Amino acid sequence: MAARIRLLELQLLVLPALLGIVGLLTVYLSGTGTTRWTWADIWVSLAFMGLVLGTSVWLSLIGFSGDQVLFPLVAMLSGLGLLLSQRLQPVLRDDPGWATLAQRQLIYLALSFGLLWGTLTFLRGLEWLRRYKYTAAIIGLGLILVTMIFGIEIQGARLWLDLGVVTVQPGELVKVLLVIFLAAYLDDYRDLIATGYRLGPLTLPPLPYLLPMLIMWGMSILVVVLQRDLGNALLLFGIFLAMLYIATGRVAYVLAGLLTFALAVYVALHLFSHVGVRIQVWLNPWSDPLQAGFQPIQADYAFAHGHIFGTGLGFGYPEFIPVVASDYAFAAIGEELGLLGTVAVLGLYLLLVTRGMLIALQARDSFVRLLAAGLTVVLGLQTLIILAGNVRLLPLTGITLPFISAGGSSLLTNFLIVGLLLKASESVGERR
Amino acid sequence: MSWFIRTAALVAATAIVAYGVATTEDRTDPRWLALLLMLALLWGIALWPSLGRQVRTMDRTMVHVVAAFGVGFLLVGAQLVRVQALDRERIQSRIYSTGTEVVADPRRQALEEESQRGRILASDGTVIAETQMGDDGRPRRVYPFGPAAYLAGYYSPALYGATNLELSYDAALSGRSEARRLREWVDGILNRPTPGYDIVLTIDPELQSQADRLLGGRPGGIVVLDAHTGAVLAMASAPTFDPNQLSVGTTASEEELTAARTYWESLQQSNDGRLVLRPTQGRYPPGSTFKTITLAGALESGLATLDKVYRDEGALTVDSRVIIEQNRPDPNRVSYTLEEGYGYSLNVVFAQLGLELGASRLTEAAQRFGFGEPIPFDLPVAPSALSVSPEHLTSPAGLAETSFGQGQLLVTPLQMALVTAAVVNDGQIAVPRLVDRIQTPAGEVVDQRQPETWRRAMSADTAAQIERAMRWSVEQGYASGAQIPGAIVGGKTGTAEVGDRPPHAWFIGFAGREEPQYVVAVVVENAGSGSEVALPIGKALLEAALQR
Repeated sequence: MAARIRLLELQLLVLPALLGIVGLLTVYLSGTGTTRWTWADIWVSLAFMGLVLGTSVWLSLIGFSGDQVLFPLVAMLSGLGLLLSQRLQPVLRDDPGWATLAQRQLIYLALSFGLLWGTLTFLRGLEWLRRYKYTAAIIGLGLILVTMIFGIEIQGARLWLDLGVVTVQPGELVKVLLVIFLAAYLDDYRDLIATGYRLGPLTLPPLPYLLPMLIMWGMSILVVVLQRDLGNALLLFGIFLAMLYIATGRVAYVLAGLLTFALAVYVALHLFSHVGVRIQVWLNPWSDPLQAGFQPIQADYAFAHGHIFGTGLGFGYPEFIPVVASDYAFAAIGEELGLLGTVAVLGLYLLLVTRGMLIALQARDSFVRLLAAGLTVVLGLQTLIILAGNVRLLPLTGITLPFISAGGSSLLTNFLIVGLLLKASESVGERR
Repeated sequence: MSWFIRTAALVAATAIVAYGVATTEDRTDPRWLALLLMLALLWGIALWPSLGRQVRTMDRTMVHVVAAFGVGFLLVGAQLVRVQALDRERIQSRIYSTGTEVVADPRRQALEEESQRGRILASDGTVIAETQMGDDGRPRRVYPFGPAAYLAGYYSPALYGATNLELSYDAALSGRSEARRLREWVDGILNRPTPGYDIVLTIDPELQSQADRLLGGRPGGIVVLDAHTGAVLAMASAPTFDPNQLSVGTTASEEELTAARTYWESLQQSNDGRLVLRPTQGRYPPGSTFKTITLAGALESGLATLDKVYRDEGALTVDSRVIIEQNRPDPNRVSYTLEEGYGYSLNVVFAQLGLELGASRLTEAAQRFGFGEPIPFDLPVAPSALSVSPEHLTSPAGLAETSFGQGQLLVTPLQMALVTAAVVNDGQIAVPRLVDRIQTPAGEVVDQRQPETWRRAMSADTAAQIERAMRWSVEQGYASGAQIPGAIVGGKTGTAEVGDRPPHAWFIGFAGREEPQYVVAVVVENAGSGSEVALPIGKALLEAALQR
């Protein structure tokens, strides 16, 4: 492949590169109260800048012809995440990890970029993935089961596997595997599922072909009950419904799915008190301000303190929010960057979703189209659920904010998704 | 979808947001959540992409999914606007407390700790008010110097706000000053903590202690000032309050709050004006000390000189009202010069003088001393009044009794101190100052207050005449108890009748080594005669001032 300069991407990368330098300097200098700085203060920014620009140059060198907007968006968001980890690290009192939060995030970020390079350099197309749909489904189910049985509970949700050195969240990868399975399955049986059986005037749903779907639905409910996490259930089920709708265009499926899901949640509410507490604290955190409501109340204070312009990086008190780095990264942004910052971040995610869906629209192969659409939905829905939880539009859930929240599993998975999306954008052209 | 429907949906959505924000308090009020659902629907209608029939299923559905995400993100945005802008103050002020455990915005405490409120210091650096860090890590406002604590006032952001200097200098104490706008702006950008400024008073702590001790808790007020600079050296008030017991911060515990409320209740119930700063807000009939103003009016208008002789036969009938003279030194003597009339405090002489002067010229004289106007000062001041009803002075009897300090006169001790200051400052009144300078905690002066002239009360010549009369009053008249060996002293006592209760005791006076410098005004409520009660206090303070 001949090298080709990715000029648009390079131009767009100016912003995240600047964000790294200016933001990190602000964070370091706000701690000292002076304007003197040394190279030691910005080596992290320079490393980030190197990773970002290096990736773009590498893509130019290998003659990668895919989308040029997606990567700058991701660089911006992950830059913010890095910034936030550097910001929060000095003020977090009990940080349980194997290195400091800031070091961990930088290493995860480097690994994620490595994963992205690998994906883009060595993957030859995406069409072959469809052949492994059942493999993907089985691995996915296995991961869920393993987590349910051997998982450890953190913050009331059983989402982590303890591997000794690190804890990982297999649930992150499950989402990608689920999308691969669904994309392949729906592509195979799309027409059948869309039309159903005709029986006189009635159109019956094609139950045999929907069976794998129903299994998925059941798994989602199981996740609520056993993993005690409404967010992941909502996410898994949402991915399923969105892909079903994209493939078939049948609104009835979406409505039926939503209705049954709501019903199941309602039952779960009455059967399991821990879900009920979450709902009650969502509706009124002041009903239990010392225990369950403490965290959302603190997050509200942080958002309110930020006002329009925010306190500036390093000048707020995000450490007052328990588990801020993973659960309430958005509230920390709200406090220090203000309403302008939070709306800008919203805008970045919306652009990411739009761009991802554009890639799906333009892809040639129908499996790749569904795959890209599904991966975009993963990113978008995950973002929407956690942001809605942070601003109390929905009950808070333990899922992470893509690219920004601290955490290696989620960062690696999201970069894998970006890699797959970029790969999908390479095969733009006439549809088969 | 037609543009009309989209526009209508947007308008309806806007109306719903406005209605929802106005009627619901919380972002998870069920009614607001229901409105959000409607909002999602309306935004969906407004934004829904209209795609032609020829568009294939998967293309169409993908665009729909993006539109749905758009609506979802808009809803998040709506919640953000509420929490970060519209509901902001309501959220920040919300507090939960069980008595032992409190949930409140910890930023308040953090900010309070970071930008520590400035101190209030006496002229020699004695701390009158400061914020101390408690053992529990919570800041507390304390007032270690009791005799001046009430001048500082209280600082009670959790319950009762602030008073006196804590109120009038709140900006400087919390780190804002006009003089340093740019510097503070830069500090804000660099987020350097701006500590509150210290304010340094003109108060001499020893003089202040002595004034407070001499008053001894008896209701009344004392002002000692430097006549030439207007610097207030002591300002005592009684009865008063303990600001330590009222100053509860936002981080105060429930016990502290309860204690403050109990103390506040007790202040209200005592009903003796403990929160009133008597030297500036207590208004009393001035008694004979007012003769100084009548005298100034007469001398200024050229109506009389100090040597002019008046008859005093022991009584004077004005408008069928009989004024009995009790002050004559010798019942057989009937003629007195005006200077003697002042020094012996003869009511009959001053009644005649006032009648000669007339209501308008007496009013003008009083106004030139600042009657009827709020005195420019660092603490709230009640304006002094010549009479409650304007008609009082139109009757000869009213005019006559006003002229020797009775009638409907209401005067603050600070006003009488300024009258005395005008006498020794060549007829000019300096603006009284309680705050000398504003400085950084490190002692760098930010704002140094300079002596200023407030107004001219009378000509220098008139002032010299009155100074002579006041010195005569101490040397040979009834204020002789105020003599201080080796010093120039002048003064005037007053015994203000107040109905059936014992009279208010007044003394105004000045003293100096080469020339008069210090001025004092003393009033003790319902305590007896001026020469017996107020004069000794005034003399002691003048003596102490001379030894500074």
